Amino acid sequence: MTQNDLYSVEITGLKKKFGDFEAVKDISFKIKKGEIFGILGPNGAGKTTTLNMILGLLRPTSGKIIIEGYDNSSEGEKIKQLIGFMTQETVVDSYLTARDNLRIFAKLYHIPKERIAEKVNHALEEANLTSFADVAAGTFSGGMQRRLNLVKSMIQEPLILILDEPTTGLDIQSRVGMWDEIKRLRSKGITIILTTQYLEEADQLCDRIAIIDHGKVMAIGTASELKKTVSKGNMLSIKVGLKDRTEVSKILKSKLKLDFDEKDDGLFVISTEDIQLDRLIKVAEELKKNKVEVHTIGMHLPTMDDVFMKLTGSSIRDSTGDQKAGKNIAKMGWGGRR
Amino acid sequence: MGLLNDSITIFTREMLIFKSNLKTNLIRSMIFPLIIIIFFGNLGSGVNNIPVAIANYANNQVSNQFINSLESGSTLSVKAITNEQEGLSMLRSGTISSLIVIMPSFPKLQGGQPSVYVYYATSQFSESGVAIPLIEQTVSKYSSSQVSSVSVQSDVNAVSTQGTNSSYRDFLIAGVILMSVAFGAVFGGGMSIIVDRQLGNIKSFLITPINKNAIVLGKLFSGTLQSMIYGILALILGIILGGSIAMGIAGLIWIIPLILFVGAAFSGIAIMLGSRIKTIEVYTIVAQSITMPAWFLSGAFFPASSFPAILQPFNIGDPLTYATDGIRDVMLNGFFPFSHILLDFGVVIAFAIDGIIVSFVLFKNTIE
Repeated sequence: MTQNDLYSVEITGLKKKFGDFEAVKDISFKIKKGEIFGILGPNGAGKTTTLNMILGLLRPTSGKIIIEGYDNSSEGEKIKQLIGFMTQETVVDSYLTARDNLRIFAKLYHIPKERIAEKVNHALEEANLTSFADVAAGTFSGGMQRRLNLVKSMIQEPLILILDEPTTGLDIQSRVGMWDEIKRLRSKGITIILTTQYLEEADQLCDRIAIIDHGKVMAIGTASELKKTVSKGNMLSIKVGLKDRTEVSKILKSKLKLDFDEKDDGLFVISTEDIQLDRLIKVAEELKKNKVEVHTIGMHLPTMDDVFMKLTGSSIRDSTGDQKAGKNIAKMGWGGRR
Repeated sequence: MGLLNDSITIFTREMLIFKSNLKTNLIRSMIFPLIIIIFFGNLGSGVNNIPVAIANYANNQVSNQFINSLESGSTLSVKAITNEQEGLSMLRSGTISSLIVIMPSFPKLQGGQPSVYVYYATSQFSESGVAIPLIEQTVSKYSSSQVSSVSVQSDVNAVSTQGTNSSYRDFLIAGVILMSVAFGAVFGGGMSIIVDRQLGNIKSFLITPINKNAIVLGKLFSGTLQSMIYGILALILGIILGGSIAMGIAGLIWIIPLILFVGAAFSGIAIMLGSRIKTIEVYTIVAQSITMPAWFLSGAFFPASSFPAILQPFNIGDPLTYATDGIRDVMLNGFFPFSHILLDFGVVIAFAIDGIIVSFVLFKNTIE
């Protein structure tokens, strides 16, 4: 197997500057054919900029993107035929029928005229919308619109599908449905690149994960590989009352000689290799002796949350959810009214 | 031919959206012209005792009957004067709104020329709009002679018009047609670029292998066609409400291309604004502050001669002025002189080309 056959996407030394601001500083990674590749990172980490460059919407300042053997700088047209893209927001023309929605994209992807009808019918079947083919998409339920959006994004039968936060805002049931759909697509040999803010989703769904922050790749690997970088053994976490924070950090540091990460809300996470039950008891006794107000104390195996926190210094929910929602509202010009 | 095919696909999509909202779109586009034509088009129809002066050089039986007939209704308040000069100075001072001059040959033609002249002040357009048709109608009862109306502008330049239609309604309809075109382009098809960007449609087009320019071109086509539909609809409405085209059906040969270029220009402006402005609220403000003045300054409501001197240069610089003038030549005068054709079309085509070029440049810059 040559390099070309193994990798679907190869990115080397990718940089993007907007004026003085370097959104993407130096990103390199390779995505294997047929894998589900997750990109995680706080808001403003450079995820969207990277995706936009893969999609050909932005020209890199420097660096190379090779997709299915084609160079993005010279063979952009070919690459566009190979990539499907779906955003967090459902993008369908609500005034048009499902069939017209698909037909227009079939034409935009330059599918030969004689094959359009067949392709459109097939896509309608895939999305389970055949009986609603000639109904305006705006009358569909959210789930139906989402399915239409997905088959619309794939009308050209791409080899790569990029999903930007595919499950954000979905209820649990729809989310699980989306996961199944993603796995089904992978089983057909499609390479899937997705961004998500749900760490457990990345953990369960993705074959490999890249964590991006400040325009750089902080870590890359399978979920278990990433977790091992945080701690080979258990993690010890203690949550204490806010007033006791300084005291606890003093106890942990000078008396018990432990390394720890401290979060603003009074959460201490200790990740040395040899956390054992007796260590937990020792810490607990010490805290009790000093009359510290302990809310929770316990041991757990490292999670993606721990990985994310260690690499980016923030919890993903702090940095994505709220800010992003606020930004979207401002973008719609609703800022003042909400 | 990739660009053209892609543009047609985008155009098809825009027109399908237009079609799916056809009723709303058409009704919305008709309300404004309807209100303006009904309310303002009949301006002066209830006016009585319009002061007119008559200089009767014929002084024969028929001419006296003619004057009596004019006096019989309550519409005109007729004052007999002895000479034309006196009447003209009254007209300029605003004491009267029209001056009727009956030539000695009346009711026969005066050496092939009309034997009745009507001078009217363009600043008194609503009263003249009522008086002149009445005078014309009355003349036709007594004489085979046509009336020649001569407008006297406030700056004293007498402009001769061929004058078959002189009603304010027809005057207004030309402006209303162009309003429908310009507003239709700016708030109809053209605005879709903002909505499309907010909903992510532009991005979904850009990731397909089409030429970027196809998006602009497709939207220009659809915006222009939609605004033409609105313009023609306004014309039809105007005719239903009592307007007429002096040139007859042949006038459409001139009106439709004028509408087309104005529609293309404003669609270009809409795309240009839409590429730069992110929210509909801001867009509405900016678009309105461009379209409204352009419309008013073109003399859509009032003859430009009635504007204050400070606004006159803006009228001359407003591309819509030339489109309005062109349509008025066709609708009011029934005659489109070659020099006017050259000027009006020259300006309007240049305006359209400008709008289109700028829309392409700005769209491209914004996307990169």
